Amino acid sequence: MNKVSGKRQLQKTATREHILNTALAVYAEHGFSASTNVIAQEARLAHGTVFVHFPTREDMLQRTLERFASELGDKLHELSETEDDLKNFLYTHIDILTKYEHLYKNIITELSSLPPAATTSLIAVQSIASHHFGNVIANCAGRYAVKPIPLHMLFNIWMALLHYYLLNSELFAPGRSVLNSRRDELVNSYMELIRN
Amino acid sequence: MKKCIACGMPMTSRSEFAMGDTSKDYCRHCMRPDGSMQSFAEKLTSMTEFIVRTQGLDASVAERSAKAMLRELPAWEHYFDHGS
Ligand SMILES: [Zn+2]
Repeated sequence: MNKVSGKRQLQKTATREHILNTALAVYAEHGFSASTNVIAQEARLAHGTVFVHFPTREDMLQRTLERFASELGDKLHELSETEDDLKNFLYTHIDILTKYEHLYKNIITELSSLPPAATTSLIAVQSIASHHFGNVIANCAGRYAVKPIPLHMLFNIWMALLHYYLLNSELFAPGRSVLNSRRDELVNSYMELIRN
Repeated sequence: MKKCIACGMPMTSRSEFAMGDTSKDYCRHCMRPDGSMQSFAEKLTSMTEFIVRTQGLDASVAERSAKAMLRELPAWEHYFDHGS
């Protein structure tokens, strides 16, 4: 690659990155019905520029979900190698979801109206999270025992708790991040429930 | 960072590569006992089981999702060439 095309490639990557970050913010604030036009306006780019990087609304949606999924997946993967306390793992999980809280809440509330690929992404990210969750529980064996409940139920009970608080965030933490304001209570109560 | 071509898992430590061989493009979960890479049918089965084990989803939903996930991975692209 020569110098000029190398520079152009860098700019292209930076623009794509800027569009994705803007889309994440717009979807978090307005939900997934937001058009690519709105995203272009927010990003201060011509609609045509956005179109070059993300030809369809589905494409844009899918790439933003993948961004969230890979950040969550990579962080939990890292932890599952070394972490031997489930509590720290749960805190990390909550903290990443907190970073994407509005987006995540919109994903779970709007899922049935989103393209099927969105469901696939969500299923993939949950299976990865649950798998690492299981690894950390195995790592914990030397420190404490967890009740003999199948992995999918241990994970689903944790997710059910988080989703209940997210769906009712206005009742638990009006105008604030519900996951952040309730994190200690959520993590500690869950740990009490599953420890043997 | 290298990602497994057959399941998408990031391979960060040597032990995650098939046979601990960092020149391999697939991970230890996508490896047969003899070290070769699993077939599409084998991977579809193991991915489906993985989804059921980790989330308890209905088996047909898990299989449909596993297929959709494999479709995105370099090792299996050619299985989907004709738009099925
Ligand atoms: Zn693999």
